[in-house]
Amino acid sequence: MRTLSPGEPQHTIDIGFYDNAGLQLRFEPARDDCFRIVRHDVDMDDRPDFDATTRREMVHRHMSNEITSLDIAAACLVEFNDAPWELRMELARQCWDESRHIRVLHRRLQEMGGYKGEFPISAFEWSVTCALDNLPGRLATQNRTFEAGAMDVVAGLIRTVRECGDAATADVLDGILADEVQHVRFANRWIKRLARENGRVLLHVAQAIRFLEAANARFVAKAGEVNKLGKTFEDPSLRVPAVNIEDRKLAEFNDAEIAEILRQAGFRTLVSDVEEKGP
Amino acid sequence: MTVLSVSDRASAIATFRFVEVRLMEIIAAWTPTTPEMEVKVMFGRHIYDFAQHADQLGKRTFELRLPERSSRKPDPLYGDLLERVAKLRTTSERLGTFYGGVLAELDRRYGEYVAATDPILDEPSAVIIDRIRRDLKRQRADADAVRTLMSIPMFQPEAHLQKERMIAHIVAR
Repeated sequence: MRTLSPGEPQHTIDIGFYDNAGLQLRFEPARDDCFRIVRHDVDMDDRPDFDATTRREMVHRHMSNEITSLDIAAACLVEFNDAPWELRMELARQCWDESRHIRVLHRRLQEMGGYKGEFPISAFEWSVTCALDNLPGRLATQNRTFEAGAMDVVAGLIRTVRECGDAATADVLDGILADEVQHVRFANRWIKRLARENGRVLLHVAQAIRFLEAANARFVAKAGEVNKLGKTFEDPSLRVPAVNIEDRKLAEFNDAEIAEILRQAGFRTLVSDVEEKGP
Repeated sequence: MTVLSVSDRASAIATFRFVEVRLMEIIAAWTPTTPEMEVKVMFGRHIYDFAQHADQLGKRTFELRLPERSSRKPDPLYGDLLERVAKLRTTSERLGTFYGGVLAELDRRYGEYVAATDPILDEPSAVIIDRIRRDLKRQRADADAVRTLMSIPMFQPEAHLQKERMIAHIVAR
């Protein structure tokens, strides 16, 4: 277990660290016994098609990710208890939002005939985010990267799920997406505000993103890898979802930031996808 | 009848604010270390409840000649008791002690404050406390419901209650 040094959070959650070839990551948070936690993408139940089981796995995965988001926001409240009160209020509100998301996804999962623990889960976002010893870094990683990335993924999923005739799941995901915009927006606002007050904040943000990239490189499925269900993974660079420009603007990403995200996504947007497929 | 002075009221409200922030932090710390999803979900809602309580009390301290969001540490015995609660490990102990012990007694202390303060002069405090007490009641009902749903063994917080009842006032002297 890593020892926290002076200057690191004074109040810590009692969950230690593990070493992955020099990278210090946080052990997973507690989960019900029914869940099987995996660490590598390839061990998740990614399926080659988009049938009813795949949709159920998708809802189960989102439910699990919301549990992780709740754990992360709660940990930030404890481990950075000297943060400005308005920011702590945002994190507390996020805890409530994530708990509602878990409930609604669990309800939908059960309506679909599923149950918690039906599929493997990952707590990768926790292991990376909560290994960081500063709040701007955590906001940059969890809210501004993972949750903003989820905005892109979910927006595409809503369309796909609706096309499959599953309006109930699409409506649930759309309601969640609206909340996620605010989680990304408050992180963007606070990172900018904290950076204006202290130039080192940007250094923390840059270090956090590098840390995330290093962790991603170790755990993401590589090109050509095949999972136990027979799915062959593409090159990670080809798996970047189309960019949800509209919601990223609402979340207060500026034009230059969106241009950079578009470049990373091969300039694919939800709008252009629609245009390519036609009415 | 002994009337609480403005200073007495400010000290009490600032102390309650400290306690509400600490309650938020305690269940926030328990969230990643509690396995049951349904219990985490309940904590998520209650974290925001406590944050809102602290926020409202923090605005009230400003109206009582203290800086906005003033917090005052409680009596050291009460503070130590809260820290012991924070260290509880099992879900059963956590639910039993926090909801059946700490919140039940906090509700009583809020009631004592409202009974002691001037109902007209200090009506803004009473209104805030009335809302908080309704939340505390709902939170305790939530905890009972989740314990039943998840078949979590009942934990009787007798030891906690005994210690807490020996502390007459939580406002530090």
